[in-house]
Amino acid sequence: MVRTKRWKITTALAATALLAAACGGAGEEGGSGGGQAGEPGTTAGFDGTTIKLGVLSPLSGPIAVIGQPLTAGNKVWFDHLNSQGGVAGKYKVELVQEDTLYKPDVTVQQYNKTKGDVVAFTQILGTAPTLAVLPLLESDKMIAAPASLDAIWVREDNLLPIGAPYQIQSINAMEHYLNEGGGSPDSKICTMVQDDVYGEAGQQGIEFAAQEYGFTVANTQRFKVGTENYAGQIGALAGAGCEMVFLTATPTDAGKIWGTAAQAQFAPRWYGQSPSFVGALAKSAVAPYMQQYVTIVAEGTEWGDESVPGMKDMIDRVEQYAPEQQPDYYFAFGYNQARAMTALLEKAVERGDLSRDGLLQASQELGTVSFDGLTGDYEYGPADTRNPPRSTTLYSVDPGKPFGLATLKYDFSSEAAGKFEFKKSDT
Amino acid sequence: MTTFLQNCFAGLSLGSTYALVALGFVVIYKSTGVINFAQGGLLALGAYLGYTFSNNLAVAFAVAVLLCCVSAALVGATFERIVLRRMVGQPPFAVIMITIGLLFVLEPLITAIWGFEHKQVNNPWNIRTVEAFGLVFGVRDLWTIGLTAAVVLAFFLFFRFSSLGLAMRVTAFDPEAALAQGISARRVYAVSWAIAAALAALAGILMAAGPGGLTPSIGFIALAAFPAMILGGMDSPAGAVLGGLIIGLAEALTRGYQDRLFSWAGDNVSVIVPYLLMIVILLIRPYGLLGTREVRRI
Amino acid sequence: MAGAHRNMTRGYADELRLFGTPLARFGLVAMIAVFLLLPTILQDDFWLSVLIYVGITAIGALGLNLLTGYCGQISLGHAFFIGAGAYVTARIGGDLGLPLPVWLLAAGVVGAVLGGLIGPFALRLRGHYLAIVTLGLIFIGEHLWRNLTPITGGNSGTSVNAQPAIGPIDFGGLTLLGESYSRNQGWFWLVWALVALVALLAKNLVRTRPGRALQAVRDRDQAAEVIGVRAGRYKIGAFMLSSAIASVAGALFGSYQQFVSPDEWNLLLSIQYIAIVIVGGLGTIFGSVLGAIFVGALPALIDRYSDAIPGVRTSVGGEGFVSVFALNQALFGLLIVLFLVLEPRGLAGIWLRIKAYFKAWPFSY
Repeated sequence: MVRTKRWKITTALAATALLAAACGGAGEEGGSGGGQAGEPGTTAGFDGTTIKLGVLSPLSGPIAVIGQPLTAGNKVWFDHLNSQGGVAGKYKVELVQEDTLYKPDVTVQQYNKTKGDVVAFTQILGTAPTLAVLPLLESDKMIAAPASLDAIWVREDNLLPIGAPYQIQSINAMEHYLNEGGGSPDSKICTMVQDDVYGEAGQQGIEFAAQEYGFTVANTQRFKVGTENYAGQIGALAGAGCEMVFLTATPTDAGKIWGTAAQAQFAPRWYGQSPSFVGALAKSAVAPYMQQYVTIVAEGTEWGDESVPGMKDMIDRVEQYAPEQQPDYYFAFGYNQARAMTALLEKAVERGDLSRDGLLQASQELGTVSFDGLTGDYEYGPADTRNPPRSTTLYSVDPGKPFGLATLKYDFSSEAAGKFEFKKSDT
Repeated sequence: MTTFLQNCFAGLSLGSTYALVALGFVVIYKSTGVINFAQGGLLALGAYLGYTFSNNLAVAFAVAVLLCCVSAALVGATFERIVLRRMVGQPPFAVIMITIGLLFVLEPLITAIWGFEHKQVNNPWNIRTVEAFGLVFGVRDLWTIGLTAAVVLAFFLFFRFSSLGLAMRVTAFDPEAALAQGISARRVYAVSWAIAAALAALAGILMAAGPGGLTPSIGFIALAAFPAMILGGMDSPAGAVLGGLIIGLAEALTRGYQDRLFSWAGDNVSVIVPYLLMIVILLIRPYGLLGTREVRRI
Repeated sequence: MAGAHRNMTRGYADELRLFGTPLARFGLVAMIAVFLLLPTILQDDFWLSVLIYVGITAIGALGLNLLTGYCGQISLGHAFFIGAGAYVTARIGGDLGLPLPVWLLAAGVVGAVLGGLIGPFALRLRGHYLAIVTLGLIFIGEHLWRNLTPITGGNSGTSVNAQPAIGPIDFGGLTLLGESYSRNQGWFWLVWALVALVALLAKNLVRTRPGRALQAVRDRDQAAEVIGVRAGRYKIGAFMLSSAIASVAGALFGSYQQFVSPDEWNLLLSIQYIAIVIVGGLGTIFGSVLGAIFVGALPALIDRYSDAIPGVRTSVGGEGFVSVFALNQALFGLLIVLFLVLEPRGLAGIWLRIKAYFKAWPFSY
């Protein structure tokens, strides 16, 4: 009896196994591709009239302060584009937004959730989430635009980065300090960076500049994000006699660091990497100190500067599509990112193929994209020959300005920044 | 020498914050036998309430501090009344998990109301400093140390001389005997949650009034206060204060001498110094510096 | 024979059978059928990847439940061992290119060794003190992950190229009987087969002598010593076993995600595991798996259908006041609270009640 029962079970299992095989796998999937030049054929994420683009961004959690304005930037550009008819004047763009919480594993899940419904990803925010998705992008032949200024994206075929990487910002900041900021290679030059990938990127730029300009970094303080008391680090920098400190941080920490420095009456020349600053800092009690000692290293131009055509257009569009949007650095980044993606889509439509392969091909053929002065022009093309912008804009803190920043030196580039070589990530 | 004293001062200020949070842990642990993981959430809630009082309702900062402590105390007592009272007699695992549940509810609640943005609390301290003996003292840090000292003193006076304090001590010592004496254990539990929440709120608003301002991640500091509580002994209020100060000092000094003495240990070794110190001390004294040795029966 | 009632047992051997009753046998067949068929019916990558993460989490939770549920030791350091497993895999499976069984085993061994290091503390400390010391492990671990750059890639994280392949069988791209299966389908089978294997091992462990010893230690360690159970040895053993299983889960996590960074092995992850074993039911094998499904799949469900929930903001500038994640977290918290207030024995407790109802049918009450 026992034997017959076992036999029954085995038969049942064998039957299910057969069924499993019959129901088939999902190993070969992918867009059905489009025809040769002409109307692009329908494909995953494109139904013939609307192009869907994915956004993987931390819309909640501590990094939401970056994700929300950045995504708003994506959206305002596409709202504007749609009001003009859309990509190539006829295909409207729709965003599929997913919250990643800035976590790699959640990003992978959300990527899997969204990838079948979109043509490409117009935003994946953060270095770690992008690295987590990168192998999947390669195997799915998907294109994505990383919202991160890390230098390792430049040489990736599946990524569409914009802007001058952090390394370039650091190098240009050093050029400015040594030539116009009163420093010399003998000055005590120090760095204060947060202990993650973003901090490493800033530090890497400074170390490159140290070789080029022949100075040594006198002291480096690596701090943990969310440290409560910075007295120790500031004390160590002051003890080392630093005359210039390059800071790679995010606003919460930067506020505490500058506040502690002000309290300790430590007053070197500070250069802050672009994400260190947020408008609220210019209204805080630390503002007078920052006005005096802090220079912010970023790109583009100050918020509301009508002399730059790109900025004027952007402000008009913000007023039209997102009137409650506060001036924000990340907003402009998202806006530019959407422009780069639009350039790619236009190219793909011109080639008559919006499939994944089509987009990859289009990205190989994409030439220089200009951002009307909001960020430097980017030479796209095959990843090996891409050339990102090498220009930087320096700002001083000015509470009177909309975003609290006034242009100090607009859109300049250093020779050393031109020499910086971009390599594919080997991690 | 100046650097050393300056680092010590930073350590005392940090240690005071730890002491306030750890004291909250101990109050709840002593009376109910539960580690309250929601302390960090209550701390953040208190700080944000303080922000609302000070900025949106524009009351004087001192009043705002008082109001935020009182309202946090109410939240703590209410939670005890509604949820935890049902859990009396359940295994400690379950009750700890409930406090974690509360933490998970508090965090999104705070961000849903106040958002993720960086906030600046209107306050008279901020980055102001005073100078004396060749040292620079942050006004906020001085107030933190002073208020902590005052609160700790009041705390011990309360437990020593008030009838409610006595009731709490008795309940902690032997709940059944206390009940037999007509002491309301319910009242004791509710009061201990209220006290712990108020202490957390005070720590929160003191932190938010510094140069860093206020973000939802402010509650993380409660994690660093765990070693303070354990180091001192989980059921010893005096141990919590002592543990807080030791941990604060150790952290600030390691930080200050990182480059000279601790560079071999990697960057930011100061962040884990509280835990290392805790582990070393526990290996020597398994119930902390001032904790009571558990009597075990077969 | 025919007369014996379906629930009748004739001795300890019968009592200990895993799939003794017809109901249990039916359940087994149903589970295997679901296991084999689900990925072919549900080809959607999103749901498959959710289920794969759930399976990996279930393995880790089984490990924690052996320690916490059966041996009564609270550990907040589970995330540390998961991280260790992922890094071992990155180096042994990825850099050296060794096959799946080798890197899984290596991760397990390293996990066991690291778990053994906790031994002295487990012997000396009790209850909450031990819990907070293991909490310290998370922070010390994070410091190590950030500074041991050659192994962990430091702050930048590391890619994990370990291939899920045994000889010619590559779960990353299975081809059976002329059908080719996607990476997620292959991974689903691999992970859930391992869940079954670990669950079976755990079940066998707890119904034999060591398992009973563990439970004696949990219930009162001194009493256990008196009846001849070497409590210290079992405590350390439980730590080693639980860490080894956690590292295996970490190995799978790393290999599936292909990239890991030090930010992932934080306290939240540990707390999530504790929540799983408590929601699932302490000291139950099936409960760990149920808990993992519940805690892992619920957020995904809410996320997928968030558009339909009023008041939830799914896009920037959209309607609503609370984000999907915030809602998820609040619900998660509320569920934990409600669960423990209403059903302290967890999901497995509910399951046992249902089972008892049907077992006694038609005389259930």
